[in-house]
Amino acid sequence: MKVQELAAQAGLKTFNSPGDREIKGVYISDMVSDIIGIGEGLLLVTLQTHKNLIAAANLVDVSGIVFARGKAPAEDVVALADKAGISLLGFPSDTWTLAKKLYEMGIR
Amino acid sequence: MVNQRGGFLVVEGCFHCRNRISFFSEEPVPPVDDYREGDHFWSHLGSFQASKFDLRCEKCGAEVAIPDVMALLLCLKCNPDCGVYKAGNTPENRKAWVYVALCAHTSHAGGACVSNTGLEALNAYFNQDLHDPSKKILIVPCRLRPFVDTCEGVVLADVGLTDLY
Repeated sequence: MKVQELAAQAGLKTFNSPGDREIKGVYISDMVSDIIGIGEGLLLVTLQTHKNLIAAANLVDVSGIVFARGKAPAEDVVALADKAGISLLGFPSDTWTLAKKLYEMGIR
Repeated sequence: MVNQRGGFLVVEGCFHCRNRISFFSEEPVPPVDDYREGDHFWSHLGSFQASKFDLRCEKCGAEVAIPDVMALLLCLKCNPDCGVYKAGNTPENRKAWVYVALCAHTSHAGGACVSNTGLEALNAYFNQDLHDPSKKILIVPCRLRPFVDTCEGVVLADVGLTDLY
């Protein structure tokens, strides 16, 4: 499944739309230093919204980032993500609810 | 990525020589005390949650220890005169995202910086899974950066974890 298809099917908020990459899996973490070791093409689910996160996500080439619990990134964060070609999405409820939803949609 | 451990990147400055140094602390609370070391008086300038790691080849099992890399920093191209900016501004690197490997000798007063072996391993590791031809990761040593105090780069360290959501 691609990022834009996921956003439409799961009702995720889109903060930008720089590209539409294939989702190869999901990784959930709120620690930036933990993210730098993950594989390429994963959908990152997190509560962190700062610029530092984009710097780490770009390094490991994520397919997109979903901010849970209604978190919204600042304008400079969105601008950096646009430059990096990283899709930013939002989910109003908690991470566990989103994890269940992604699993039910076949993203594993 | 192996031997991953969490800690803090601690940056200190000497008000006599104006040099900056950094080190990685695995203590639960990073040290903030000022101290004297010969002619230097080191003061705490800042701490960032970070992690250190080594790399191991999955094919041959060869391990590359990179103890001299304290953290990675994303270049935001703030200064055209900076060596890091110039490294990413060559025809072959124009599409590259440039990251800086930060060593302990932040001001490079003694000339030492991160090892070439470590840099080669980091570049190989972070580029191995990139299949998008429009993207390349370039990791350069921090000795290319003339000043740390005016650098606008983003350190890949955890921040904001103690903020209230």
